[in-house]
Amino acid sequence: MDDNRLLGLILVFAPLSILSFGGGQAIIADMQHQTVDVWGWLSANQFSDLFAISRAAPGPSTLIAALIGYQIAGFAGSIIATLAIYIPSSIVVYYATSWWQNHPDSRLKRSFERGLGPVAIGLLFAGALAIIESGPISWLMMINLAICTAILYFTKFNPYKLVGSVALVFLALNMIGL
Amino acid sequence: MSDIKAQTQPDSSSHENPQLVTPSLWQLMIAFLKIGVTSFGGASRPMMHRESVEANKWLSDRDFIAGFALAQVLPGANPVNLALYVGLRARGVPGAAIAVLGMVLPAFCVILLMGYAYRELIVYPATHFVLAGVAGAGVAATIATGVKMATKLDRNWMTLIIALAVFFAVGVLHISMTPVVIIAIPASLAAAWFTDKDLRHG
Repeated sequence: MDDNRLLGLILVFAPLSILSFGGGQAIIADMQHQTVDVWGWLSANQFSDLFAISRAAPGPSTLIAALIGYQIAGFAGSIIATLAIYIPSSIVVYYATSWWQNHPDSRLKRSFERGLGPVAIGLLFAGALAIIESGPISWLMMINLAICTAILYFTKFNPYKLVGSVALVFLALNMIGL
Repeated sequence: MSDIKAQTQPDSSSHENPQLVTPSLWQLMIAFLKIGVTSFGGASRPMMHRESVEANKWLSDRDFIAGFALAQVLPGANPVNLALYVGLRARGVPGAAIAVLGMVLPAFCVILLMGYAYRELIVYPATHFVLAGVAGAGVAATIATGVKMATKLDRNWMTLIIALAVFFAVGVLHISMTPVVIIAIPASLAAAWFTDKDLRHG
């Protein structure tokens, strides 16, 4: 049972590693789809919770893999998921580094820099939608989302401070019984 | 100017530069653990620059900037990719492994503790409620980043169509990401290739 889960973690995260253009946010939608719908390891609510924790936590956004691994297969799961999310992309970086240095300014390189952008942005918004869909959908959540987006887009407010403030506000709302 | 430089200095890469220092693996480990701990707020790039270029001279400024561009384009988390690049340039494959380990380990420990706390606290209904709010803030960060990135894209129909098609396929139709990306990336690269304005260097 547990061995199957460890193997499953590799099968889910290793391919996503190669596809994580722009970092962890690009693969959130597929991560949710795989862990909730395909493998049934987590409920949509749990995934939304783990996403929240990963955003409140320090470090790269790809570390959500460690959190998911821990949740479904304990400490071993967290190690396996972390290795699966970092090793494949690192191998790509290793080979690309030498190629990149031998081609200081090529048309292919420029095409990569410009061409990956639209794909990464499509994936980014798909990830945002996946999280919105997996959490509770209410007026309160929509207002929270709108205010937070406006703050982060229009001001230079630190995202970690925003996460902390939102947590405190929701804790207070919970106490007064909303 | 650059042609002359290229002729007189055929290999201008950093390891030919006598001013640069080769660190021990231990020094690399300590430096990246330090970066991993102090960049909890997210500012890992300036920290890495200070450690690897300014303070210790493991690689040149130019190499660092090239690595930064590379880390953004390639798959994987940008700070981790940059750590890998610095480690690789400084001490080869073992250096790369050490740098990534140092960079990820502190945050990994914290996230495990948070995962443990989550398991203990999920019995209280307030936990899910608060986390739903935090998830909203996280999604807001994703949307704000996405909008900022989108304003920097090329303004043409192809860009818009590819971004929307990827969003629709993965986000709305829930098609698995792999086949979508296998089609979308070559299409997007081809579009960028054929609209490349700087044809002189092609």
